[in-house]
Amino acid sequence: MKKKLLIALAGNANVGKSVIFNYLTGLHQHIGNWPGKTVERAEGTLQFKGYTIDIIDLPGIYSLSTYSLEELVSRKYIAVERPDMVINVVDASVLERNLFFTLQLMELETPMVIALNQIDMAKGKGIQIDIDSLEQLLGVPVIPTVAIKGVGIDKLLEKAIETIEKGPAKHGQVMYGEEVEEKIGVLVEKMKNVQFMYPPRYAAIKLLEGDEDIEREIERLSPEIIPLAKKLAGEIAKLHGHGCSTVITSERYEAAGCIARGAQKLVPPIKPTLAEKLHNFTTHKITGYLMLAFSLLLIFSSIFAFGDFTSGLLSTLLYGLEPFFASVFGTGIVGTLVWGGVMEGIIAGVTIVLPYIIPFYIILYFLENSGYLSRIAFLMDNVMHKIGLHGKAFIPMMLGFGCNVPACLGCRIMETQRERLLAAFVTTLVPCAATTVIILGLVGKFLGIQWALALYLFNLLIIFAIGRLAFRVVPGESTALIMEMHDYRWPHMKTILKQTWFRVAEFIKIAFPLIIVGSFVLKLAEVSGVLDPLAGVLSPVTVVWLGLPAITGITLIFGVLRKELSLVMLGALLGTTNFALVLTPVQMIVFTLVAMLYIPCIATIGVLIKDFGWKKSLFITVFEITFAVLVGGIVFRLLTLFM
Amino acid sequence: MERKNTKKSEVALTALKKGENGTVSSIKTGHGQGSIFEKRLMDMGLTPGIQVSVVKSAPFHGPIEIRVRGSRLALGRGMAERIFVEKEKK
Repeated sequence: MKKKLLIALAGNANVGKSVIFNYLTGLHQHIGNWPGKTVERAEGTLQFKGYTIDIIDLPGIYSLSTYSLEELVSRKYIAVERPDMVINVVDASVLERNLFFTLQLMELETPMVIALNQIDMAKGKGIQIDIDSLEQLLGVPVIPTVAIKGVGIDKLLEKAIETIEKGPAKHGQVMYGEEVEEKIGVLVEKMKNVQFMYPPRYAAIKLLEGDEDIEREIERLSPEIIPLAKKLAGEIAKLHGHGCSTVITSERYEAAGCIARGAQKLVPPIKPTLAEKLHNFTTHKITGYLMLAFSLLLIFSSIFAFGDFTSGLLSTLLYGLEPFFASVFGTGIVGTLVWGGVMEGIIAGVTIVLPYIIPFYIILYFLENSGYLSRIAFLMDNVMHKIGLHGKAFIPMMLGFGCNVPACLGCRIMETQRERLLAAFVTTLVPCAATTVIILGLVGKFLGIQWALALYLFNLLIIFAIGRLAFRVVPGESTALIMEMHDYRWPHMKTILKQTWFRVAEFIKIAFPLIIVGSFVLKLAEVSGVLDPLAGVLSPVTVVWLGLPAITGITLIFGVLRKELSLVMLGALLGTTNFALVLTPVQMIVFTLVAMLYIPCIATIGVLIKDFGWKKSLFITVFEITFAVLVGGIVFRLLTLFM
Repeated sequence: MERKNTKKSEVALTALKKGENGTVSSIKTGHGQGSIFEKRLMDMGLTPGIQVSVVKSAPFHGPIEIRVRGSRLALGRGMAERIFVEKEKK
């Protein structure tokens, strides 16, 4: 007999939810997006005691209101899909705040079990939790766990199954103040005959809180309830001197606090913990910034060193296949298209992914899971505010120096769609590893490192100028940083590797087809002899306006595939890599500048389309080409005056 | 909710110095988008009547770090300026 169960994991961000998810599902998991949303959806399956269990890892959230897409998605999932069990992962070291979420889950009247995670860390902070009294106070089974060591997970699963088998038991509910309860009662009574996906008590509470999503849903079913709810909410507000939603949130938090105080004993350690000391050091106004600069330097230099070496090795290895391909497909048009079109596209992809993207993600997830990323956001918040974004946006920008593709995907950490777009736009202007190859390989090598640094500086200035401009032009308000900085902890390596793997797979899925098709099309254009006339067509821009050789028109087109190709192609077409012989210093600078700014590469455009749609991606692309050409021409004229 | 009704000096959270405590009295974020942030702040535990302590503030008008309900939050300065607290004497 095969029995199927559906279990959802829910809880705050950074409580070890994904570690538990990985522990439960191992390799049987799939990460995608919620239909039509840019919110990640992680699913997996496991076999346990004759059951086939589907596990879904809901996004990490602090509440079940409609502040963010993640919250809305989670709430709808629990209400509509009605999982057999919700495992609420709770951080034992921040019990009160976590229970605030637990109480909201309970209001959804879903069957649940609590995984009281990180009890070891809580102990280190002098927090002792009495499991029995917590269970009693909540009326929900509680299993202590240390997910990163796998402690308690089996028991958790057993408890979940046992609770499901026992059948639905009603757990406790938050009781609000008398006046609030009375209004809830009135609304529940009114909704008695309304078929609604949410439980009536939950809907009543949310209506009093003024939840727009629930209001929209109820409007369709029974519109007369809305004005009544508004009236009742107004009465509560008048009574308390605060908005009704404030009153309800406060009372819910009071209840969470009461339970937390009843179940935990605090014996603060006399000496600050290591995590505490590390936090103070890494957020200090002097040592914090020194540490940040040092970390960034270390990360980038090691990634570039590793990437450069591995990338070289891989391309020698892969280019070694060329004679083999030539022998199979010949050296005619077919052979050229297969090798130069398809294979070189694959090589281009492989030599980016393995050497740069993989180490980058491993380090990124290490920093995120350990807690350092939030400290970086804290330190960089006011800098990012200058371009209308907050501290978290520094993270995708930092990623952009490696590769714009994961960086644009990383913009999903921003809270609103507007900020995601702004952050992604700014990120596409950040010089990625491929751009760095051009900057260092052309300007750095032939004009000296000071010119390369000057270009970087110029690029940063442009990012700030454009960022500020975009922030004013794009409608909407700027948002502020509201971010938890959880205690430092040693991250779970397997989880990091798995997260890295899914990101890399995503990259391959988006970028590879584009790079290969693009490479094929360009090769086809080359073989059919369209490129030379094209260079002629572009010459008013390249030759007249930018003062570059006509041939650069072609190389810049190739750069769309992968930016450093524009330099490689330049060498190939000019017949030398000693660029000093064929380009003047001014031409080198102008070429690099244009290559730096002119377009996000094809893979980046692919990601932009995925997250923001055609129109906005096209706008960004056209804008950046125009802007790069404009700046390039101006710089050409200015530099000619001095050099 | 334990609120002291003695109308003591109500100041912005940013006026508290490192190590000082206060009790949240109100959040004035305005309408529209602002009210979403008010909700968000409350979801993170900053409800009226709760005690918060300022741990540090980042230099050059950067964000401030506070402790509330046992958790550690970073708040952008602009946001923190709209949170009003009753300053506690130590």
